[in-house]
Amino acid sequence: MTAPALTAPSYDDVRAVTDEVWTTLLGEAAPLIDRLVPVGTPFDSVGVWSAAVTVSGGWEGSVTVELTTYVAGALTTTMLDLPHDAEVSDADVADAVGELVNMLGGNVKSLMPGPSVLSLPSVAAGRAAFSSDAREVARVEATWDGEPVRVTVHNSTGETHR
Amino acid sequence: MKALIIDDSRAMRSILRRIVTSLDFETDEAGHGQEALERMESGPVPDVCLVDWNMPVMDGYTFITKVRANPDWRNVTLMMVTTESEQQQIVRALAAGAHEYVIKPFTPDAIAEKLEMLGLVGGAA
Repeated sequence: MTAPALTAPSYDDVRAVTDEVWTTLLGEAAPLIDRLVPVGTPFDSVGVWSAAVTVSGGWEGSVTVELTTYVAGALTTTMLDLPHDAEVSDADVADAVGELVNMLGGNVKSLMPGPSVLSLPSVAAGRAAFSSDAREVARVEATWDGEPVRVTVHNSTGETHR
Repeated sequence: MKALIIDDSRAMRSILRRIVTSLDFETDEAGHGQEALERMESGPVPDVCLVDWNMPVMDGYTFITKVRANPDWRNVTLMMVTTESEQQQIVRALAAGAHEYVIKPFTPDAIAEKLEMLGLVGGAA
């Protein structure tokens, strides 16, 4: 008897991937801290950056990250080795947030059945919007330096873990 | 030693540049495989290329096959630095001519260790 095919990554796996990518990029001094948010709560903030990658093949899904402007800026200055109060362009922020979701997506993809292809990241200044046939299967809600961070995994047929 | 860093992310190129510069490499950068090939054709041939897989215009796998098809570049060491972590992809890249494979996210030590294993930086005394 064979085990059923894995259709969705678990919350614990997505959280572990998020922590690993986060601490590698931003250091261990300020880790992500869990926050409780009711399911369906929009990522409301005055300034938001979002980015997504899709996975196609053995597993079909997407990985999305949403960050406040403050967190996206801190990520950008850290990756570019600039002072934290340095001015960064929208292009630089889009590049850094895109690389963040690329790493998150690649590592989530590695948890799922393959072979699969990872898309190039798409990045937007604004909240993420999801298509109606995408079903949320895992969501990490956290704060970094007091600001919200959200990582969401979607597919069309998976089971909801949180 | 010269390193050519090939990644479509400026932020990732910045991180890799800091790491290899600290190991006494001179660096050059390209945003995709085609740009990297043009740099290698027109400028000094690097000792090592650190190359991402997923890039616009020309991906890292195609870049590796093109480099390996040119006998003038047979001494160039190729290291994939990518989020592609499926075993099948790793085997494919190594079969195409990559010498080493590093999965993102990585630590500076991981890059240094790989370069040391390839004989491109000195080992610890």
